[in-house]
Amino acid sequence: MSAIVNIDPTLCRGHAICALFFSDGVELDQWGFGRVVDGTVDSARLLKRARRAAAACPNGALIVVDDPTGPDGTGPSIDSA
Amino acid sequence: MTVLPGLALADGPQLVATRTSDFVGIGGLGDAATLMLSGPTAESGAEELAGHTMRWGHLPDFDGAGVRALLRDSHLDGRGGGGFPLIRKVETARLSPGRPVLIINASESEPASRKDRTLCRYRPHLVLDGASLLARSLGVVDVVIHTHRGAAAPSGALSTAIAYRVAARLTDPTWRLSEGPDRYVSGESSAVAGFVEGGEARPRFTTQPLAVQGPSGRPTVVSNAETVAQLAVMSRVGPVAWNALGASSSPGPRLVTLMGAVAHPGEVLELTGPGTIGDLLTADGVVAPPAAVLVGGFAGTWIPGGVAWQTPFNRAALGSMEASPGCGLIGVLPHAACGLNETARIVRYLAGESAGQCGTCVAGLPRLADSMAMLARGSLRGRGVRKMTALADTILGSGACGHPDAVVGLFHSTLEVFHDDVVRHLAGSPCRGSDHPPVLHVPDAVVGPLIDASSWI
Repeated sequence: MSAIVNIDPTLCRGHAICALFFSDGVELDQWGFGRVVDGTVDSARLLKRARRAAAACPNGALIVVDDPTGPDGTGPSIDSA
Repeated sequence: MTVLPGLALADGPQLVATRTSDFVGIGGLGDAATLMLSGPTAESGAEELAGHTMRWGHLPDFDGAGVRALLRDSHLDGRGGGGFPLIRKVETARLSPGRPVLIINASESEPASRKDRTLCRYRPHLVLDGASLLARSLGVVDVVIHTHRGAAAPSGALSTAIAYRVAARLTDPTWRLSEGPDRYVSGESSAVAGFVEGGEARPRFTTQPLAVQGPSGRPTVVSNAETVAQLAVMSRVGPVAWNALGASSSPGPRLVTLMGAVAHPGEVLELTGPGTIGDLLTADGVVAPPAAVLVGGFAGTWIPGGVAWQTPFNRAALGSMEASPGCGLIGVLPHAACGLNETARIVRYLAGESAGQCGTCVAGLPRLADSMAMLARGSLRGRGVRKMTALADTILGSGACGHPDAVVGLFHSTLEVFHDDVVRHLAGSPCRGSDHPPVLHVPDAVVGPLIDASSWI
């Protein structure tokens, strides 16, 4: 199952907790605001870390959503609809 | 002179040159030919429905598929700044689940731009005709027209025009006027869509386009006022003739606002044909290439004056120098002024106009403004420039909307175009333009971000 990971910059307050749990997928800028390295996560190991980081973010800024266009998804993408 | 059969219809629009204190039309067709700004002068105020119908004829009876064919055949691009093809928004919204929401964005939050309010105030029925057609293309029966609050807001002219259309029982959608705060980022499409749905007028973080899913959960099309007015014109003259009024690779006529060292700052021009920036400035009375030209808005791109003078004002030609027509703003820097001083004030203004919701704008933009101010004063050294460039790299791509990236774009074009001045300023040498009064006027009442960052804890 692949998922799309995003950080909503309007919610991120630079607590940097995401980088503790999901160090492979998040990089921090000079103020500690996070940025997702690769928005698509398709390994189960990384996805578990991403979900843990999302749960730990005090502002709910890290968002993990199942990718409807991914191999196991059922939803239509814009291009194929 | 190019002969355009579509425009030669005896009962079609009259093509006359118009020049008033408020707007002027110049043509690229040999004789001056204008479309949207033809007709009564600005002194007559808003063109009334009767006059509008007499000059343009009734709104053509296209159905939704007919309007979509117009959009496809003309390649009409958005005139609010992004330049996104309107047909793509419409088709995406139609393919997405839910009844679409249609918002006409007449907020014109770029402070020096005047084109959208000129259209709404003097040619309201062109805007409403175009909105009516766009509503058909989406199959929606109600349309929101969004403007900014304030004395300069054109909502009075729009509501009068709507009253006349209702009384005349035109086949129109139901109109709703919306007025939002007069702030720079409040005119951004997701900010407008969010405000219309009852939220705050600030940009939203979105993982998919508004046309797929807006703040209401429904597909949302936000289209600029000039864009739909162009659709109204095109529905009369036909997409082929309309397209030919632009450059070969950049469709249709264009409205332009001038600012800075021109004879009539705030003047709106209508460009038909392949006119250059030099042609536009000549129409205003500028006689020689200026030092530099800021194209596309405050957060636009500087182009050296000599190059700009020869550059056609269209998407293709400007795109080749990494610039864009944006909202149609052209700012003129005279030889006696300093581009670094001007940019420093603009960056300070843009930093203050952030919504205050993303870390990159709250932490990054004020620092970039500080460094630009030091560079303008001559108190920055080489190491400071390297730090400033690294800061710009950090800012790039990390906000919810395009605001921080646009400021970084302005910063890079400033360092490139005013390279010689940068070298002089870094050496601490006096700059010829340091004492020159401001040329590109930024609004002085900066009241701070929409959200107070002290509430962040």
